[in-house]
Amino acid sequence: MRAGLMARLAWHDYRADWRLSACAVLALVAVLAPLLVLFGLKSGLIGSLTDRLEQDPGVREIVPLGGGRYSAARIDELRRLPEVAFALPRTRQIAATADLYPNRPGPVVSVEMLPTGSGDPLLGALPQPQRLDEVLLSRSAAEKLGAGVGDELLAAFGRLDGGVAEYQRTRLRVVGVLPLAAFQRDALFGRLELLEAVEDYRDGRAVAAFDWPGMQGSGAAQRIYPGFRLYARDLDAVETLRQRFATEGQEVATQAEAIAQVRSLSRNLGVVFWIIAGLGLAGAFAAMTASALAAVARKHRELSVLRLIGFPTAALLAFVSLQALYTGLISLLLGGLAYLAAETLLNQLFMQQAGEYACRLEWHQYLLAAAATLGFSLLAAAVGGWRAAGIEASEGLRDV
Amino acid sequence: MLRLRDVRKSRGSGSQRFSLWVPRLDLYPGQRLAVVGASGSGKSTLLDLLALVLSPDPGGELSLRSAQGEQDIAALWRAGRQDRLAELRSRELGYVLQTGGLLGFLDVRGNIGLSRELLGLGDDGSVRRLAEQLEIVDQLDKRPSALSVGQRQRVGIARALAHSPKLVLADEPTASLDPLNAARVMQLLVEQSQARGACLLLTTHDLQLARSVGLSLLGLQVRRDADGGVTATLEGAG
Repeated sequence: MRAGLMARLAWHDYRADWRLSACAVLALVAVLAPLLVLFGLKSGLIGSLTDRLEQDPGVREIVPLGGGRYSAARIDELRRLPEVAFALPRTRQIAATADLYPNRPGPVVSVEMLPTGSGDPLLGALPQPQRLDEVLLSRSAAEKLGAGVGDELLAAFGRLDGGVAEYQRTRLRVVGVLPLAAFQRDALFGRLELLEAVEDYRDGRAVAAFDWPGMQGSGAAQRIYPGFRLYARDLDAVETLRQRFATEGQEVATQAEAIAQVRSLSRNLGVVFWIIAGLGLAGAFAAMTASALAAVARKHRELSVLRLIGFPTAALLAFVSLQALYTGLISLLLGGLAYLAAETLLNQLFMQQAGEYACRLEWHQYLLAAAATLGFSLLAAAVGGWRAAGIEASEGLRDV
Repeated sequence: MLRLRDVRKSRGSGSQRFSLWVPRLDLYPGQRLAVVGASGSGKSTLLDLLALVLSPDPGGELSLRSAQGEQDIAALWRAGRQDRLAELRSRELGYVLQTGGLLGFLDVRGNIGLSRELLGLGDDGSVRRLAEQLEIVDQLDKRPSALSVGQRQRVGIARALAHSPKLVLADEPTASLDPLNAARVMQLLVEQSQARGACLLLTTHDLQLARSVGLSLLGLQVRRDADGGVTATLEGAG
């Protein structure tokens, strides 16, 4: 069969019969464009929600509830779990506070102290404290103190020794300030050793590193931590870890429920989308089949003539299928343009944060839609083509 | 070239039955034949059998001798080799339909050249030459819908001849034309078929016109059978 000749003949006929062709194209675009927008909204909205969850490390945090007793080895064990992205021991809450003095006139700011280290998701790309006296500040603390990166601050840690209030001062250097989204309260993030030193001092022990006086003898080897900072590797791991802690009898607070809600919203929206898509596609398929059959009935005489001249069955099939392909391609182009216009408008309306989209289709999704459209077009045309293939050359030739 | 022995084609049954019987027919290059008969006498059935678009009843012999050797057409029909038959049609046959049978979406040039294109034959100027000979060269770029009935018929003749087939069949080629036009179109058809050494077989009800252009006549004799059905027999075949 001469493919080029058939493509040309089919195109000539498609163009000559442009009213019928336009009807077929419009019918398909009428289904295709809304479906693309719906598809885009689904993947855009769900994508944004999921991105927000994934980008907010707080969602992946697992907070142990109630007092616990953990050895350093136990927490190291937790850190090695494949579901865990970051785990560090916490010192006692009461011992993990510091008074920071601003470098300008102003009140002392009391902050909580959190241990940090390599892989802390709250820090992101910020530098980690390398030395004992290096810290990061939360945005609110930095603003109250009027401090920025590179500043040195005076910090005071107090204790009661036999009913006598004592305190020690030391200078801390700010190496970074966390974004507001990462941590909302007044806090400083330092190395675990800093927090352990403060805890030792509070407990009345001497701290050699800072030259703080107190009882000699170290409890570090058997140090017991009341809790830990722990972040799951990804959203799925949150639920896995929650179950793991539950079986161990350790109560934890997680965002597992919020994650499950977004997940189920995503799943339900998916179902809604596929129901609408299914109904739309079924309608479009029926319309395409009807139009293919109508086209074959309309072109009966021409098809008979082609058969009489000696065109093989495959050529008649190609004639009908190619026209369906033309309809599919033109509809895809028009539907795609309509979608892009709708996408631009919707994103302008709903844009909340840079990099987030209300409506968005990836290239592979568009290609998938294109392949499905052309596939359905050809399938619908095959019904008409089947009819066309059955046309006898002697039929319809003598109708005037 | 085309050889028929005891070929039958029946439609319907009982008193509604219509049968065509061709006891013997041989077609050779250069022949000019006209099948005459009243309407309903089986002219179209005969033409469709010869054009390889209608299957003969089992039994009898229908074969085509071409450059590729002898083809048993009846056997191809029995084997359902539709595409082989289509291929033979495209190479060996030209068919002029009563109403031109042109494709409305192609211009005249495209219509005439269609049979050549299907065979993969390049344009050797024969399309234009035929258009000149059939006096439609001014119409080459027009759509069939812009042509008169007589002009369309000439385009139909040009298409049937463009790929130089051995056998040209024409089904009442002048029936829809006025007498003056009919005579001219008939004359052109006979001339151009002869110039290409093709065998021309046409059906007509215009006995006088057929005689005047020198066609040998074949008759279809219709007779009612005992079962109430009708049999048309081709007579006068050489």
